[in-house]
Amino acid sequence: MNPTDGTKGEPAGAPRPARRAVLRTAFTAAVIAGTGGALAPVLLGTQGPAGADRERGAVGPERFSELYKGREIRGTVTTTVPAGAQPYAAAPPDDGKQPHAGAQPYAGEAGAAAAVTGTEVSVDGRPLHVMRRADGSYLSTVNHYESFPTLLETARAAVDELGPAQLSAASPHTI
Amino acid sequence: MYSRKNQRDLTRTEKKRLVDAILELKRSGRYDDFVSLHRQYYVTDAESRPRPAHMTPSFFPWHRRYLLEFEKALRAVDPRVSIPYWDWTRDNTASSSLWADDFLGGNGRPGDRQVMTGPFAYRQGNWRIRAGVTDDPFLRRNFGRPSSPVTLPAAADVERALKDPVYDTEPWNSVSTTGFRNRIEGWGIRGGRGVANHNRVHRWIGGSMAGAASPDDPVFWLHHAFIDLLWTRWQKAHPRSRYLPARELPAGDPQRDRIFPLDRPMPPWDVAPSQLMDHSRLYRYV
Ligand SMILES: [Cu+2]
Repeated sequence: MNPTDGTKGEPAGAPRPARRAVLRTAFTAAVIAGTGGALAPVLLGTQGPAGADRERGAVGPERFSELYKGREIRGTVTTTVPAGAQPYAAAPPDDGKQPHAGAQPYAGEAGAAAAVTGTEVSVDGRPLHVMRRADGSYLSTVNHYESFPTLLETARAAVDELGPAQLSAASPHTI
Repeated sequence: MYSRKNQRDLTRTEKKRLVDAILELKRSGRYDDFVSLHRQYYVTDAESRPRPAHMTPSFFPWHRRYLLEFEKALRAVDPRVSIPYWDWTRDNTASSSLWADDFLGGNGRPGDRQVMTGPFAYRQGNWRIRAGVTDDPFLRRNFGRPSSPVTLPAAADVERALKDPVYDTEPWNSVSTTGFRNRIEGWGIRGGRGVANHNRVHRWIGGSMAGAASPDDPVFWLHHAFIDLLWTRWQKAHPRSRYLPARELPAGDPQRDRIFPLDRPMPPWDVAPSQLMDHSRLYRYV
């Protein structure tokens, strides 16, 4: 082994810029505005080619707004980027050293999950940062070691784990 | 050369030295740098960025190196200290000495899940959470997650993983259904198995350990020392098995630029998995 001093990566907790609208794609789905108090995930049609729906599989674009254990949870998908839409369109946003703060996500290979672009989940108005696994399931900063089939389940699980705690307003995003 | 002991065998003095060294790293700000580093390298397998730490073959070597860095920092404070391991198949209750007042403190209290006992209780004044997932400045634990109960992995769960003679398998990520690596890392497989071993322990402790800033709970290090020991046990059980993938994946393989085969240097240390296969010249498990 070869110990080095390189423990520190980037400045601790450097805030990541918002990642909205970083992916340009012809397959942009319908923008979902407002939340109608739907209690279950609502499947939404997309404007993209036939493949766009299919690749999302069981995990459709969703929106929800509900009171769960006294907490207001909301989820809105404004953009859907189908997997395979931009295979390797960009070089890895990386110098080979470490994931950057502010590195831009780009779509995965066909068959993998789409990027979670334009996905906004919140608990009592505070943003819940959400990521995806290769099987399309979701994880959040609150539950980093298990994933959920839908955003709604992800948000509910976050409330369960949070108890009465509020999400950090200044939570450094890792995506 | 030093030893990593089972935490249940530590003397009172050894526990106090370890706790004091951890508190000193916290006081100096270095501890929080380690927390941020882990968070920074949490890259999922839906992303195209390289992912050295999780959902990946290099889960074991990356964390081995991460622990070594932490241990080096601890030993710079007190050279008599090393990271003990927590065998959660054996010490699997909230009444284990691990959670006593003289070591890591106990479960979070009902309600806000704040840890109220031991040296890492907020009210002791030495353990403020600065960049956690929540606004709370205190360490949170929620043993067994009563709202949706989860148990610690059993010895049989670990045994099953140790029996797998193959280190890892394609697609080299969180959905690899066989292979020692993901059986221990423990990602749930849809329609297959549930959350297991490493991931399940994070979930059982809950609170801070369940989230993005999991090293905020010092038990993180003891948990991962046991994970590191399991890797060593697996190597001993399968002397002819090797780390996989041994070579770069072929051009066109979607994982090619995302994972770390045997000789590819891992950030942030520029150390390849091949350099971390054998710890016997640095430390041993007793
Ligand atoms: Cu980790």
